[in-house]
Amino acid sequence: MRIAQVIGQITLSRPHPTLTSGRFLIAMPISLRALSTTMQPDGEEIIVWDDLGAGLTCWIGVSEGVEATMPFRPDRKPIDAYCACLLDHLYLDEQATREVLS
Amino acid sequence: MFLARVTGSVVATQKVPNMTGRKLLLVEPLRLNPANPRELVGTGRTFVCIDTLGAGVGELVLIVQGSSARMTPECEKLPVDASIIGIVDRVVVQGMTVFSASS
Amino acid sequence: MQLARIVGHAVSHIYHPSLRGWRLLIAQPLDKNQRPDGEPLLVIDQLGASIGSLVILSNDGQGARELVRDPNSPVRWFVLGLPD
Repeated sequence: MRIAQVIGQITLSRPHPTLTSGRFLIAMPISLRALSTTMQPDGEEIIVWDDLGAGLTCWIGVSEGVEATMPFRPDRKPIDAYCACLLDHLYLDEQATREVLS
Repeated sequence: MFLARVTGSVVATQKVPNMTGRKLLLVEPLRLNPANPRELVGTGRTFVCIDTLGAGVGELVLIVQGSSARMTPECEKLPVDASIIGIVDRVVVQGMTVFSASS
Repeated sequence: MQLARIVGHAVSHIYHPSLRGWRLLIAQPLDKNQRPDGEPLLVIDQLGASIGSLVILSNDGQGARELVRDPNSPVRWFVLGLPD
């Protein structure tokens, strides 16, 4: 799962019939450098299916690829990114982070 | 998933047998302008997607990629890797509407 | 599989039920020069990797679902090994 921050939401006028029970968030992933300094997400935004209730500015863990569809088995949902957890606290070890970034 | 603008359609008379009669559209992925995340801009890239919702040229759509694109009853048995799963009505970023189909 | 360094952990109170009881570690995948390769990942671990450890990550979803014993889990990345 990548770590991303919720920055917005999209609504559909015509969703695929299998996609009516959740919401589509706009989430922006973050690099380790940004996570350890500005906390400003700096990745390329992705659209994420959410049924846990993540709000604007929330930090989330995003499961990508076909794994995003697993929670719905045996039903089939055409999604490739799923909000698997809402993150309350992110702890970075200063020394380990510095070693990786230096 | 990602947002894209429908830019055209593709017709191919020669294609693998189970794709016969399937509608293929050309789309350009959009992204938020990194310098101004309240603006959607084109990426210059282009994809061919299968469409089962009846999207039209100019519309903003939501695209799913990879084997997830086959996770619908219509596409289950088709060799496709990108599928239109919604026609977009509104895009809101940081509380501001950056796209609305009605305006 | 990919080499990564454990740089921290995350705490979550609202999550997919298959994550119950699993610690979420923050792992930074590394390139050939041990520099960051892509964005950090949340991974699960059964081997007791500590902060600062170098680990081997797997992104085999099937393996991850077997690890959490839930065929409906969205989990994909887990610690496969701790290099000597």
